[in-house]
Amino acid sequence: MEKKIEKQVPIIVTENVKKTYEDNGVEVQAVRGVDLTISAGEFTAIVGPSGSGKTTFLNIISGLDTITSGRVLLNGKPLSEIKGSELSDFRRDHIGFIFQAYNLIPVLTVEENVEYIMLLQGIPKAERHKRVMEILADVGLREYAQRLPAKLSGGQQQRVAVARAMVSNPDLILADEPTANLDSKTGSELLDMMKELNEKKGMTFLFSTHDEMIMSRARRVITLKDGIIAADVLKK
Amino acid sequence: MWFYIKLAWRNIFRNKRRTIITSIAIGIGLASLIFTAALMEGMINNMIQSATSSFLGQAQVHGGDFRETQDVEKTVNNLDQVTAELKQDPLVTNYTLRTLSMGMIASPANMNAALLVGVEPGSERFLSKIADTLQKGSFFDGANPRDMVIGSKLAEDLEVSPGDRVVATVSQAKTGDLAQEMFRISGIYQFGIKEMDSGLAFIRLKKAQQMLGIGDRVHQIAIKFKDIKTADMPGISFWKKYSRFDNEAVPWTILLPQMKAVLGMVDISLLIMAVILGCVVVFGIINSLFMSLYERMFEFAIMRAVGTRPAGLRKLIVLEAGALAVISIILGSALGMILTLIFAHSGIDYRGIEFAGTTFHELIHPVMNKWHYVVFPVGVLFFTMLVAIYPAWVAGRLRIATALRKSL
Ligand SMILES: Nc1ncnc2c1ncn2[C@@H]1O[C@H](COP(=O)(O)OP(=O)(O)OP(=O)(O)O)[C@@H](O)[C@H]1O
Ligand SMILES: [Mg+2]
Repeated sequence: MEKKIEKQVPIIVTENVKKTYEDNGVEVQAVRGVDLTISAGEFTAIVGPSGSGKTTFLNIISGLDTITSGRVLLNGKPLSEIKGSELSDFRRDHIGFIFQAYNLIPVLTVEENVEYIMLLQGIPKAERHKRVMEILADVGLREYAQRLPAKLSGGQQQRVAVARAMVSNPDLILADEPTANLDSKTGSELLDMMKELNEKKGMTFLFSTHDEMIMSRARRVITLKDGIIAADVLKK
Repeated sequence: MWFYIKLAWRNIFRNKRRTIITSIAIGIGLASLIFTAALMEGMINNMIQSATSSFLGQAQVHGGDFRETQDVEKTVNNLDQVTAELKQDPLVTNYTLRTLSMGMIASPANMNAALLVGVEPGSERFLSKIADTLQKGSFFDGANPRDMVIGSKLAEDLEVSPGDRVVATVSQAKTGDLAQEMFRISGIYQFGIKEMDSGLAFIRLKKAQQMLGIGDRVHQIAIKFKDIKTADMPGISFWKKYSRFDNEAVPWTILLPQMKAVLGMVDISLLIMAVILGCVVVFGIINSLFMSLYERMFEFAIMRAVGTRPAGLRKLIVLEAGALAVISIILGSALGMILTLIFAHSGIDYRGIEFAGTTFHELIHPVMNKWHYVVFPVGVLFFTMLVAIYPAWVAGRLRIATALRKSL
């Protein structure tokens, strides 16, 4: 893994990215010029006080939100060149998402939730099933495949979200405060699991967080303050 | 696609109460449409029945252009063969022979023009309601060849009652000579239709033929079918068959064009009702869909984030509307069927009420028609999904980042 980072295969490059919101005529500068490169295999946390622009930044690099100026490159390709349903397909094929809570479609079982992205990709049923079962085993929820999300604990739900994010082998997994709704023990278990998947499968993770536990496990910690990078620390 | 159908179906059962209330509302709309259509069909049957059964018959055969000219010389051609065929015809239950000629009827008090109708009392009973609407006297009960049955209005004008004598004058065929005969009023009927009560005088066929000098010939054969709908089928071979020998066979739809127009109006009012109910249904659905849409913005944002295209979300919403429609259709069709069956059995009493120029004489029985259970439900399904395009479009335009932020 260390090697991969040393090789520096850039997955995301942002160049002077700015995002300004208009809120009742008042301009809010959520991101004020961020230059950043995230490389394959990273396990990186973006930290900073509330309102510092973490969520906005994650939304920008996944194309969930537009930018006001600057450039975002994903695998060398400018995000601005991807339009309409191509952008949906792009996220489906290249980015995995884990949100703070309520990640799952409540009327679908665990298996169906994890399967969903592969279904969108048009992968045949047999292979979908095989891969769902493998990934559910990885996150330790094989026996829960037929359950509905409401019948799972918060931690288990987040694990399903991790499984869904990883199942189609995306280039990057974005996790916006994935532990914020969990107690510290459950959160810590979830993080250990993600760390292990990162090391075992080389999956790239980018977190936004207030959580000390994530910061302590992350290999790189980027601190945002008022929409600009205040610190970028690579740990040994 | 299958997956979205599954998802849509499960989604509409998330809020069971709302789904049930909405589908009951739509279902009631559909049921009332089905029931109204059944009622209208029953009403139409009733109207046709009463229009054709009083005197007209469901079809008539005349000779050549008798209908236009009313020329007493123009009798039905090849009468023996035609009646032999009618006797055998599987579509026909009854027919009767008539002569028709304009004449003058004079009483000691007054003189009136009337259509003198020669009838065979035996078979006439199956084709007209004259015998059933008698006020006084009888309908050719004895064997007196000089019996005459007239309407109440005509009796009033002539100031006659049963037993009184009148003199009828007609002009004979061919020669145009006047023929005069004395008759005795044997019965007075009252239809409740002014033209019928003031303008007709019935005598025995034999006597009429003799007066007119037309031998055994007649002017009109009035026909009753086994199924009243037969008259409304212009394509069947029946009409051609009895229009041979320079005769003319026509259904009541042609004899009574104004009645046919009334039926067209009934269709239009059904359409208007369908449109009004359709609007109610449509707004019910839009309301329900938007409520469930706004509740699930976060969920839709997640679906969009992980790679669902806007079109996928739109498809889901339209399918949810479709699923809602399917439930409503099941409810509505069942309710409509129950209502129709109940009232088809018991009948609805509109007797004595006049509608579009005819008076209902019998109970109205709503008619079960399988097409009502095809056309209206398919319409509901189609329009529901059509209407769902609007909320679907709104869902497709969802701003993901905003929706994700708002709901947390
Ligand atoms: N849609 C919007 N309209 C107006 N202002 C917005 C909008 N979205 C975000 N902001 C503002 O942009 C700034 C950055 O918000 P953002 O959510 O990215 O911060 P954050 O670091 O994720 O905060 P937290 O730790 O609380 O999640 C904040 O000041 C916020 O109020
Ligand atoms: Mg945030």
